[in-house]
Amino acid sequence: MAAASSFVTEVFRIGPFAITSTVVTTWGIMGVLAAAAWAARRRLAATPGPWQVVVEGIVAASEEAVRAVLPEHWRQVMPFIATLWIFIVVANLASLIPGVHSPTADLSLTAGLAILVFLAVHWYGIRSHGLKSYLRHYLQPNPILLPFHLIGEVTRTLALAVRLFGNMFSLEMAALLVLLVAGFLAPVPLLVLHIIEALVQAYIFGMLALIYVAGAIQSQELEYRRKKE
Amino acid sequence: MEFDATTFALEIINFLVLVWLLQRLLYKPVTAAIARRQAGIEKTLADARAVRAEAEALKAQFENRMADWEKERARARERLAEEMAAERTRLMAALAAGLDEERARATVLEQRRAQEEQQRQAARTRAEGGRFVARLLSRLASAELEESIGRLLLADLPRLPAEELQVLRAAVQAGEAKVVSAYPLEEGLRNRLAEALGTLSGKPVACDFGQEPGLMAGLRISIGPWVLSASLADELKFFAEADHGGR
Repeated sequence: MAAASSFVTEVFRIGPFAITSTVVTTWGIMGVLAAAAWAARRRLAATPGPWQVVVEGIVAASEEAVRAVLPEHWRQVMPFIATLWIFIVVANLASLIPGVHSPTADLSLTAGLAILVFLAVHWYGIRSHGLKSYLRHYLQPNPILLPFHLIGEVTRTLALAVRLFGNMFSLEMAALLVLLVAGFLAPVPLLVLHIIEALVQAYIFGMLALIYVAGAIQSQELEYRRKKE
Repeated sequence: MEFDATTFALEIINFLVLVWLLQRLLYKPVTAAIARRQAGIEKTLADARAVRAEAEALKAQFENRMADWEKERARARERLAEEMAAERTRLMAALAAGLDEERARATVLEQRRAQEEQQRQAARTRAEGGRFVARLLSRLASAELEESIGRLLLADLPRLPAEELQVLRAAVQAGEAKVVSAYPLEEGLRNRLAEALGTLSGKPVACDFGQEPGLMAGLRISIGPWVLSASLADELKFFAEADHGGR
């Protein structure tokens, strides 16, 4: 299994498994995020400093966004969605560092995240209402719609993976082409667009994941409450 | 754009590990810190509300106390006004009584002063009259007048009061009689006078006759402490001293 694209290279191998630059960059991002989180946790104080204000702002904003969609289940979903936002933002912006390519420009990573969202949707749905109750929503409002539900599950997962990959890959490719054609400093405006696009794509991915999870959780909410009452 | 299964699988694992790490290192601690701060703020707000409620209660209590004090002050003011009115009435009555007493005293003093002035005026009038009469009588004084006075004396001697006679008799026992006159007395008048004194005293009286022009006209008989004046000068003196109880 060789490197998948022009941006992805094989760094080393562990037996039959090739460790690509995407995985190494992801490990680096994980290390940075874990170290930053650890440092932030150590410096938590009753009177927050500037750094703590930023960290608390990120966490509180994520919490508010999830709570607005899932007022009752936000505690379960919030870590997954917030981690999606934080990781994708950092991964998207990683290409701003010279010599580093964005991991999200690799379809293998975006497909992995999309599969995780796919699994998380079913996990939270089954966890909330049970397997039978959750599967029943595929037959509603009419069993004839089951194939469309199934197609929808696959296509939206595929769309998640391809949307993020396509946007980030095209941004890097465009920057590279502009750099090759126009020379040094010419791609700077494109890099600014890259920052905006990185934030927007991270927000879209996380928000879509949140909406999918919320849809799974709330699909049987009315019937579940009716039965409970 | 190729799909790598190893990268796919490792990224899934990586993301799950990252979720676990951030859950342990970031979300829980930060959420707990925010919750603690929120609880602290809530506690501070609750304390502030409690303090405010306490302050409101104290304010209400203070206002009630102030209202009570205001009522008490109003009552005290009314009592003071009543006491001042009573004291004023009492002082006015006392002042009126004092004024009446002072007025009565002034009236008495005025009357006494008027009386004294009247007495001084009378004394002055008598003195003026005395001087006038003295000037007149000094021109009228003569031996004939003195003889007439002597005859009047002889006529009045028997009518002396009993107590006068007792004093006369007691004085005769002590010594002789001294008779002075403004003019030399005739022998006959001297004899009649000695005889009249002897008759009154009950024994013969030796008389020593003398002359004193200051008497103007008339006689003065002295027997020991007993003195009988019958001269113009003595009469004028008696007249002038009549106001002071003189004879």
